[in-house]
Amino acid sequence: MSPADEGSDRNEGQISPEERAEFKRRSAEIGRRLDAARPESGKSKSAKGSQGKASNELLGRALRLSTELIGGIVVGAGIGWWLDTYLMPTVFGVKTWPLMFIVFFLLGSAAGMLNVVRSGMKMKTGPSDPTKGKPVPDDEDGVI
Amino acid sequence: MAADGHGHSPIEQFEIKELLPIDIFGIDASLTNSGAYMLVALGLIFGFLYFSTGGRSLVPTRLQSISELIYEFVANTVRENVGSQGMQFFPLVFSLFIFVLVLNLLGMIPIPGVTFTVTSHIAITASLALMVISIVVFYGLYKHGLGFFKIFVPSGVPLALYPLLIPIEIISFISRPISLSVRLFANMLAGHIALKIFAGFIGVLLGAGVWAVLAPLPLALTVALTALEVLVAVLQAYVFAVLTCIYLSDAVHGSH
Repeated sequence: MSPADEGSDRNEGQISPEERAEFKRRSAEIGRRLDAARPESGKSKSAKGSQGKASNELLGRALRLSTELIGGIVVGAGIGWWLDTYLMPTVFGVKTWPLMFIVFFLLGSAAGMLNVVRSGMKMKTGPSDPTKGKPVPDDEDGVI
Repeated sequence: MAADGHGHSPIEQFEIKELLPIDIFGIDASLTNSGAYMLVALGLIFGFLYFSTGGRSLVPTRLQSISELIYEFVANTVRENVGSQGMQFFPLVFSLFIFVLVLNLLGMIPIPGVTFTVTSHIAITASLALMVISIVVFYGLYKHGLGFFKIFVPSGVPLALYPLLIPIEIISFISRPISLSVRLFANMLAGHIALKIFAGFIGVLLGAGVWAVLAPLPLALTVALTALEVLVAVLQAYVFAVLTCIYLSDAVHGSH
């Protein structure tokens, strides 16, 4: 069917039964073709997209994990140092250096590890994957 | 050789310059190059979003589809990480994402003597991170009351381990704003310093007689680094938005 034919059909506003049948057949045909084409194109597109996304996300993850560990250690050591140098001597009048620093440094290292493991778990369950969006809360229950 | 002249120090680009001295009752509120860059970024963001969505056509124009893509990207990030209840925080996450993104990218445009990367200063990134974490804490307290603090109590663990695990959880929570701000600031700072140093090698080698034949090497590296830095600029804005979402999800969903 040429575009000119379609144009004249529309202009007349009258469709003969044969044309109606023909139109139905064509619309069913195009529906079938769309159904056949859609999952394929969707699949290939998402596969390609997720691959490109994956490499970007991997870099993002690497950058994220490195600071998680350091953040925990710095905060732990900082709290310990503050307790030793300020809170314990001035408020409680006890000389604890370097006891608190050591204890909280270790706790901070554990917290840093916890951060890394936790964000690693989140990455594994893939919060960025929309199809797996549901299981994430369940998984968190077990982990946290 | 490189020490002479100006603009060769790799950290000179981070210097804050006063452009317009403003003094409000003894508080120094001068407009600096940092502030000016932020104003430019705000103007760009507002202008772009205003004009690109002004037409509101069903079949989007190129500009409109760019802003629609950014909108959908951030909306999906929020939905995936916080859930649909988290969409009330969409304006916050979108503002943070686009603000950090535009500031990162503006810092990549070389203008001699002017270029400045706002996000390479920890004062800026720490303010953003503190704002995020305050919203998490206040919204969590508002929504769950004191039950919000249950996020510090691990579940499924013997009672005897609580004295050990609760401090660890608290330290882990406190370290969030720090790692959030340090990550963005350190990435931008280190990237720009590396760029400047490698670019500086080109000039040094060119002026070193026979060694000038080696000058194309750092040039190629600088080009590659520039591409990497653009990637990092976008990625860090994305990471900032994702982590904001993850932290907000604690406030929305409470303890597990």
